[in-house]
Amino acid sequence: MKPAHLIHVIGITLLALSAALAAAGAVALAHDEPETVDFFATAIIAFAIGLTSFRRTRLSRDLTIREGYAVVGLAWLAVSVAGALPYLFAGVTTSPAAALFESVSGFTTTGATIFGDVERLPAGILFWRAITQWLGGMGIVLLGVAILPFLGVGGMQLFRAEAPGPTKERLTPRIRQTATSLWYVYAGLTAIQVLLYVVGGMPLFDAVTHAFTTLSTGGFSTRNASLAAFDSPYIQYVTIAFMYLAALNFTLHFRLTRLQFRYHRDAEWRFFTWALAVAVLVILAITYAGRAGGAEETFREALFQVVSITTTTGFVNADYERWVPAGQLLLLFLMFMGGMAGSTAGGMKAMRLRLLLRHGLTELKRSVHPRAVIPARLGDAPVPEPTFLRVQAFGLFYLGLFAAGAFALALAGHDLVTAFGASAAGIGNIGPGLGEVGPMDNYGWMGPGSHLILAFLMLAGRLELFTILLLFHPDLWRRYARPPIMRRARL
Amino acid sequence: MRILIVGAGQVGFHLAERLSKQGQDVVVVDTSPEKTELVGDRLDVLTLVGNGAALPVLEEAGVRRADLFLAVTNRDEVNIIGCLAADRLGVPRKVARISNPEFFTEGSMLSREQLGIDLMINPERECAWETFQLLASEVASELFRFVGGTVFLMGLRVEDGAPVAGHNIAELAELLAERQYTTVAIQRDGATEVPRGDSRIETGDQIFLVGPTSQMEHLPALAGYAPYQLRRVIIAGGSAEAVHLAGFLEDKGVGCTILDNDRERCVALSAALPRALILHGDATDAELLDMEGVGGVDGFVAYTNRDETNLLSCLLASRTGARKVVSLIHRRQYVPIASRLGVDATVSTRLSAANSILRYVHEANVSSVAALRGVNAEAVEIRVGPRARALGRPFRELHFPAGGVVGAIVRDGAFIAPRGDDAVQSGDHVVLFAEPSVMPKLEKLFA
Repeated sequence: MKPAHLIHVIGITLLALSAALAAAGAVALAHDEPETVDFFATAIIAFAIGLTSFRRTRLSRDLTIREGYAVVGLAWLAVSVAGALPYLFAGVTTSPAAALFESVSGFTTTGATIFGDVERLPAGILFWRAITQWLGGMGIVLLGVAILPFLGVGGMQLFRAEAPGPTKERLTPRIRQTATSLWYVYAGLTAIQVLLYVVGGMPLFDAVTHAFTTLSTGGFSTRNASLAAFDSPYIQYVTIAFMYLAALNFTLHFRLTRLQFRYHRDAEWRFFTWALAVAVLVILAITYAGRAGGAEETFREALFQVVSITTTTGFVNADYERWVPAGQLLLLFLMFMGGMAGSTAGGMKAMRLRLLLRHGLTELKRSVHPRAVIPARLGDAPVPEPTFLRVQAFGLFYLGLFAAGAFALALAGHDLVTAFGASAAGIGNIGPGLGEVGPMDNYGWMGPGSHLILAFLMLAGRLELFTILLLFHPDLWRRYARPPIMRRARL
Repeated sequence: MRILIVGAGQVGFHLAERLSKQGQDVVVVDTSPEKTELVGDRLDVLTLVGNGAALPVLEEAGVRRADLFLAVTNRDEVNIIGCLAADRLGVPRKVARISNPEFFTEGSMLSREQLGIDLMINPERECAWETFQLLASEVASELFRFVGGTVFLMGLRVEDGAPVAGHNIAELAELLAERQYTTVAIQRDGATEVPRGDSRIETGDQIFLVGPTSQMEHLPALAGYAPYQLRRVIIAGGSAEAVHLAGFLEDKGVGCTILDNDRERCVALSAALPRALILHGDATDAELLDMEGVGGVDGFVAYTNRDETNLLSCLLASRTGARKVVSLIHRRQYVPIASRLGVDATVSTRLSAANSILRYVHEANVSSVAALRGVNAEAVEIRVGPRARALGRPFRELHFPAGGVVGAIVRDGAFIAPRGDDAVQSGDHVVLFAEPSVMPKLEKLFA
């Protein structure tokens, strides 16, 4: 573990961030807003720190696995803090904890907001919220890898620590090409969505910001009523389609650009899509039975809400808190699944859920056939034992953190439904929860303690738990593993 | 260039490492998930688990876009079939690692051309050849020749009382004004340095020199060695390498004794090598070694398949008085230790094979490449192109990347030791020495 290596890569990340800040500054300038200064000031700070860190240090060798985890965890902390500065400088909030919450919620593509009335926010701030989600979706460290040529093997360690999902597939011989390809696919899909929005009559600014927050499954909106503000079924259907695409494994999209149609062959894709379809039908059946209103409208509301929550986007077109409790509970369950591995979505990921569920069935079978040899499988392909064990550990950590988060929120004085809903929505990077943080509410009224608890949950969820939890593990920082014999001696 | 490597063993790993660091797109295929995972973790290459002789696997690995196909598994059959498949799928250049030349004996059904193999590499033979060269060149621990033999690159361990010890490079240049050597690297405690004027040479260092072949014989004396003639060699371990080496030695009229602790192997060896003395015994049996006069031999080579045995027997032999000891080392982490223990040179079957392949890979614009054992650097011979950026500009004005150096210039067959005022002309051959990551930058300057 060389501190110079960590500082070097974090410097790169801050440089990428300063470019985004300058972009937000340009938007503010175009709208003739006083916040222009705040953005450029933050951009200069980030640029100065980033450039100094980058120029004063160098990678003397490739990054080790440990350095990869440490650097990604710390880079995300650095970016979150730097990203909170514009909110404070512009004066849209006075609480540092709230500003950090909004920043983390952006970069982790959660979409939970402290603002009750976003329509009163200046355009620069709105654009900043959207672009933080867009950068966080594909991963800001990965962007650094894509832009900068010299992170060979080190790039792979960063990719491993930042990219979502239990298996990290490399698409091309060089990790930099992989990172670049993924970003191209991401940017390409965003451009198509902007085009479709504009064709549907959405103003360009709203089209860009919403495309940013859809493809990243973020969910920040420029309107108080979220997507319901655009009274257009077309726009809602476009949004549904792109939320769904964003929750698929980007490797599959990449294959499509190579004219290989692989979606239907992917076991995780089949599971994810079936789960979505079944959830929509069940919600339709139990919540909308006997309700007045057009069939199309009813169907669209159910579809939109299920897709929005499951893909961990968090856009809203209906107040699902008016549904029967069973429907709300089902949404809470869907929050745990999230999207596919290798997508921009949060949650536990469909692949992990499927592996765990199937493992349960396998153990039942093994009770009857005690000598059966049954590997964990995904589709027909066996999953290597270490991968599966890691998935199990992930599942336990996820539930444990969710429970701990809910407990901490309850300690902070929130009621049961709110605590559970906020914890699930935070760790799953969804955004709207249940109770007092439902689809029509916001997180602005919470105290600084709750904000920090949720910020931690969001970061842990986005970086797949391990990267953040490892920051607190002494072995990550220790030069030598402590010999077990010493521990015993101390007893 | 897209390069497909089948086999992620030591040869494959080494090739993948060198080639990916030079900036090539490398895909590695192996049947073992553990090995591919290791390669994928350590190197910036794409890996694929599967049989490299199977068409679907090769298709998946992108064989149709590959410019070069290297089949280097430890199974000849897989390598042959892989090359055959690659040839049919239109890969322009194919290399196969073949340990059993029996496949291609005269009158055989298969011929190299039919299978589309451009280069066949026999690792054991390459290794034996390298050992032979080291033994024949008196004291060098590494020896490579460039530009048709005009220039050599030699590695030497600096002995006690050597004339070069305790001097820095600038002093040496004055001291040896009439000798035209360039010191291209100093290795100390496992770390390699491309030296500058104030770098000092100490006893025990491993130094790498480039110079004209005509001056080669003076070098060993500089490093503190007395000259000797090769008359008798003991080889411990009757491996395939030993059989090849004995063949080379016998051709030169050098007497050769082979030790092996497996009786049946000894019988087979004595059948294959009628002129060699075959002994049944242990390589680390000090008494036996002493009895067979290891103290008086000119060369001692340890060729067993265990590094530890090799090092120990080399140590015994060198303590008893063998003049030059060479050890086969499989694990490259042991190489710096070997040098510190007093082993004069180490060889590695896999590295020898990989070196030969690398030399072939670079053939297009580069004539010769040498990767050095335990040293993170390589030497490359390049013909200076008509549009090279370095053309006509004195070296001191070029912005040379750190970690790289020009070892020699050869113009019209004559050797020129490069100095700051020299400049290259189109058609010159230069020998460059650099860390692998720096090499592409240097190549750009001159190619």
